[in-house]
Amino acid sequence: MTVGTWLALAGALVLALVVGAEARRAAGPVGRRFFRHPTAAPGLVVLAFFVTLALAAPVIAPYPWYLQLDPVHLANQPPSWRFPLGTDPLSRDVWSRLVFGARFSLGIGSLAMLVAVSVGAAVGAVAGYFRRWPDAVLMRLVDVGLAIPRIFVLLVIVALWDRVSLPVLVLLIGLTGWFGTSRLVRAEVLSLREREFVAAARALGARPGRVIFRHVLPNTTAPIIVSAALGIGSVMLLEAGLSYLGIGVPSPKPSWGNMIAEGQDRLASAPWTSLFPGLAISLVVMALNAVGDALRDALDPHKEVA
Amino acid sequence: MTAWIVRRLAASIAIVLAVVTLTFFLIHLAGGSPCGQSDAQSVAPEVCARLRAQFGLDRPLWEQYGKYLWAVLHGELGQSFWQRRPVIAALQDALPNTLLLAGTALVIDFTLGLALGVYQAARARRFGDIALGNAALFVNSMPTFWLGLVLLLVFAQWLHLVPVGGTHDPVLCSRLDSLQCVADRLWHLALPATTLGVVGAAATARFQRNAMLEVLAQDFVRTARAKGLRERRVLLVHALRNALLPSITLFGLAFPFLLTGAVLVEWVFAWPGMGWLSVMAIGQRDYPVVTATALVASAMVTLGNLLADALYVAADPRIRVRGA
Repeated sequence: MTVGTWLALAGALVLALVVGAEARRAAGPVGRRFFRHPTAAPGLVVLAFFVTLALAAPVIAPYPWYLQLDPVHLANQPPSWRFPLGTDPLSRDVWSRLVFGARFSLGIGSLAMLVAVSVGAAVGAVAGYFRRWPDAVLMRLVDVGLAIPRIFVLLVIVALWDRVSLPVLVLLIGLTGWFGTSRLVRAEVLSLREREFVAAARALGARPGRVIFRHVLPNTTAPIIVSAALGIGSVMLLEAGLSYLGIGVPSPKPSWGNMIAEGQDRLASAPWTSLFPGLAISLVVMALNAVGDALRDALDPHKEVA
Repeated sequence: MTAWIVRRLAASIAIVLAVVTLTFFLIHLAGGSPCGQSDAQSVAPEVCARLRAQFGLDRPLWEQYGKYLWAVLHGELGQSFWQRRPVIAALQDALPNTLLLAGTALVIDFTLGLALGVYQAARARRFGDIALGNAALFVNSMPTFWLGLVLLLVFAQWLHLVPVGGTHDPVLCSRLDSLQCVADRLWHLALPATTLGVVGAAATARFQRNAMLEVLAQDFVRTARAKGLRERRVLLVHALRNALLPSITLFGLAFPFLLTGAVLVEWVFAWPGMGWLSVMAIGQRDYPVVTATALVASAMVTLGNLLADALYVAADPRIRVRGA
């Protein structure tokens, strides 16, 4: 690693700390409830750090993610000043791949969650608002969706194509993950639709679509945000699992999951290749869970638990 | 009560049927072929056609579906292209391995999880509680397979305490015919089951701690303490019995978690269970096996949920079901 990349890394750390401190300083009443959670601030800093890594990957990573430095002499090198996290069996710098891997792992996690939350919110709102047969049909569908363990659905679907492209993978993970959210939103909508402001909107002649999207759904954002924040972690774990099995992000591209798989054969002699990506996933998922918990307490005070 | 059971049973069967339908049509969109991977062009077209006819792949889709459904109802899950034997035979080899792994993990999950949860509740907001709570949060955030690899590295590669994979020693103990071989099986089971169980226990402990705290705040606990009962008795007899109820819900949730985790853990430890079989079959585009494993997994989850619901109603007299 050169002086420039060390400086960039230090910059990312400082930036993460500044983001954390600045968010805390500018916090309103909800923000103060958020930061009352002891793990909220550290979680936010960890997330800010990894997001910075992902965004500034070309600046921070000392080598390109695909570069095989010297397969004969530089494969499976232990961590050193030149290679802070060692090199993998193909002599690629693990730290560089980890930094670029943040793009894949965080990107897939958040985009897939976006798909899941959008579909879940729409389905839940339609089912809860119209009740009767749309509700019955959609909720039976959700029952079926929840009955199949998600990884088996994905295994079955991935088996359809020889290689799944990244956008399709994101869609697949998203489209198999909206069932829980839809139940949550439906329950909220069932009670919201009886409120006066909904009756008022209807009395003014608003059509169902407008009532749902302008009046009802905006009032369900709190539970949706919380379930999304808590869900990204499990989506990232799922993506890591799929990539580990070799059916997620295709191999030369670095995702933290397939990096773990690449180091597996050399686990005894060169454990760093598998250990560090796993540590990165654990840290990010833990930070996401901490932030999600704090968000829940901040946005839904009545659901606070001990 | 009977009416409730019948209704829940019917719903469960409907779910499983829907899953069969879904997986069947999904897999058929793939157009996998008994002639092997797409790059295997060496198979002569007439041989390929004969194989397709043999497996019934030349019939219309609805006919294949009807036949499939009928066969599934009779416990026939078709032929595995890859293993060249009935799918049910492959499943019969794999299912006990998964059940053994998931069952042991379930026991570890709940014994460890309950014990930790009770301990944490007893020492709520003190050092032990906070340390364990953070540790559980960390374990819960790990990819299960990565934890498996770490344990593998430490206990198998460095300390040589346990074997690196498989269900048994293929040379000495290919058959389960001596006490030594039973020990050998347990030896192979230790690491995968611990991996799966510990991750589950992290979630169970968190849940159990909160359930205990809720119960400990109630009046009858104060009465028990006021009677002069020892804290141990208050915790383990009075509070725990009531705090166990919500854990039954967790029991139902544990099934999908264990099966999902089992897929990855089986892959790490080369444990030839359903998850391992499914991933192998996908590599071979052997869709009868993939359908069957997805189907069996879903049936197990549905059954688990049904069981948890029934247990909950049986355990808590305060719950009255409609139509009971």
